[in-house]
Amino acid sequence: MAIDMKRTFLGLAAAGALALGTGAPPAHAQDGVIRIGVTLRMVVENGLKYGQMAKEELEAVNAAGGINGKKIEVILLDDECKPDKGIANVNRFIHQNKVHLVMGSTCSSVSLPMVDVTAKEEVPQIVPHSTNTNVTKKGSAWVFRTSVSERFYAAVHAKYLAENAGKKVAYLYTNDGAAIGFANDYMAYMKRTYSAEPVYQAQMQETDLDFRAHLLKIKSVGADVLAIGGQLDAIARISQQALEVGIPSKVRRVAASAASNAPVPELAGDAVVGLIYAAAFNCKDERPVAQAFVKMVQEKYKVRCPDHDFSQAYETAQIVKQALTAAKLGLTDATLKADRLAIRDALANVKNFTGLASGPINFCADPTPQCRDGNRTGILVEYTKGGKDFDTKVLARVSFEPDFGL
Amino acid sequence: MIDYAIDLCIIGLSVGMVYALVALGISLIFSGLDIVHFAHGEIYMIGAFIGLMLFQKLALPYVPTLLLAVILTGFVGVFIERVFYRRLTRAGGGYTVAGMGMVIVGFGMSIVLQNVAFLIWGPKPFPFPVPFGRPIELGNLALPMSYVWIVVTALTLMAALHLVLRKTMIGLAIRAVAHNKDIAYLSGVNVPLMISTIFGIACALGAAAGVLIAPINYVQVQMGVGILIKAFAAAVVGGFGSLPGAVLGGLLVGVVESLGAGFISGTYKDIYAFVLLIVVLMVKPSGILGVAAKVKA
Repeated sequence: MAIDMKRTFLGLAAAGALALGTGAPPAHAQDGVIRIGVTLRMVVENGLKYGQMAKEELEAVNAAGGINGKKIEVILLDDECKPDKGIANVNRFIHQNKVHLVMGSTCSSVSLPMVDVTAKEEVPQIVPHSTNTNVTKKGSAWVFRTSVSERFYAAVHAKYLAENAGKKVAYLYTNDGAAIGFANDYMAYMKRTYSAEPVYQAQMQETDLDFRAHLLKIKSVGADVLAIGGQLDAIARISQQALEVGIPSKVRRVAASAASNAPVPELAGDAVVGLIYAAAFNCKDERPVAQAFVKMVQEKYKVRCPDHDFSQAYETAQIVKQALTAAKLGLTDATLKADRLAIRDALANVKNFTGLASGPINFCADPTPQCRDGNRTGILVEYTKGGKDFDTKVLARVSFEPDFGL
Repeated sequence: MIDYAIDLCIIGLSVGMVYALVALGISLIFSGLDIVHFAHGEIYMIGAFIGLMLFQKLALPYVPTLLLAVILTGFVGVFIERVFYRRLTRAGGGYTVAGMGMVIVGFGMSIVLQNVAFLIWGPKPFPFPVPFGRPIELGNLALPMSYVWIVVTALTLMAALHLVLRKTMIGLAIRAVAHNKDIAYLSGVNVPLMISTIFGIACALGAAAGVLIAPINYVQVQMGVGILIKAFAAAVVGGFGSLPGAVLGGLLVGVVESLGAGFISGTYKDIYAFVLLIVVLMVKPSGILGVAAKVKA
């Protein structure tokens, strides 16, 4: 009996300690702190660094006294590229942490449902990485995007490859939001501009590992271009398996923007040579601002060639700081709603922001893609070497008008 | 069209061999220990990681890497059986009782191994860059050497297992234990040692599968989840507990999956394995090579 009593007491004590440890009291807006909830895919090594960079860049202002005397607090969470975790994170930000702004996410399949939540709760959301066209097409007045929409990337890919490789395109893509967006936008552009239908298309599960049956079919239909949509490991696997089944190198391979992530050439090795992708940034960009950024990332985060998810996380943090400086914030419980509105309006007033993106970033008030897709400049990059010491070359740099048709 | 079908069959056979090796391990454990081992996918993953470490850190060539990974994972399997499963099978009323407790422990072991692997290697996939050389040209067909390696190595391992089980004293003892542990014990067989051996061999086969597929699919913590489901389908299609059945089931699942993806649609290619499973169970509920009612002596 004594042992049972002791166990019960210890159990209760442990439960109590756990409750105290995890059940931190909800934040209150009246403490004069600007709260920003950041949710990103951090389950991969570089993902952690994107999150770390966003947090450090935003909180860097605190050392100099904050923004207009107000400190910034960043709550950083990992959504693992899973929509349910992303939604849980954003709900926690809004209802428990009482954030003034949400930043996220990396994966389009997470950002897309987040847009519905932030629109309903009237909290400004800025999307640093996701490329799916529909992120800004939902008509939310609360969403802004600093990453380049897939509709621009698709046009860059489609135009370049139609003119330089051919119009017979085979599409192989996984069922995540960015990959579907990549394939659909590419197909739409090819149909609208060249009346070209896909010679093959297949959508696969994100968890698929073996794509060889599809690739054999693509080999047999004589495609000019193989368009690959997916997250980085799927792109690497497909690139490698395409070579294994004997798809000749004259069939040009183009991939969604996740191909810019360093693990792709590291995983696929030389199978990645010749793979083309569109991105917002390339580490070989010779502009002084870009080289200073590359040097900073190399020294601070130990990444040799930062990809565009690094640059976009950094850029988003700078834009947020600019908007917060312009916004008049009360930072009390009573002004929480007004503060969120003020930040939204300040973001909508960001004009001609120049930084790491290859063109200026502009937002405006209308809840349309034309206003909320701030970055409209994509660069086309080709891998020239695979492995850890991979290399790339820039093929083209294209800026679009806000509404160019897609 | 014929070339295309042959290509698909070759892919199906190479993947099927991997399913067969994992299914063989599952069936071996089931026949020897009466345990449905739900952590076998993670054994496959651990084997692949051990192979990767040997290949990268010690810079061993592929064949020694494969052999060493198989042996080391075999010992990992023996360790798991001796330390964790042995106590439970004893507490559960002897070696022939496969209760719910063992199923739960299998799931638990699966989670533990995944988390241990996550702590050591993290979530990202790792390349396993083996220079297999140029494909073999056969008329219009180009046969990648990675597939040849999978098929030849898997067949060699299966043949070796067959020889061990049929032609050696250890094999005879293993078969005796699988048939009836009490009678085997009374006949002088060291039953606990044989059970450890069965578990070690089964885990070694899982490791072989992991190292063979790694150059194509990379190595990552989650890699065991998908293979386990396919290997179970293969084992059930062939007849659960039947070793030739596990091989046949693995090959059938691989080929049906590949042909279905090629000729019907690749989008839902996981469905074909389970359609095959349903059809086989409707026609012959014990599986193709399974016995109708397995009652041990």
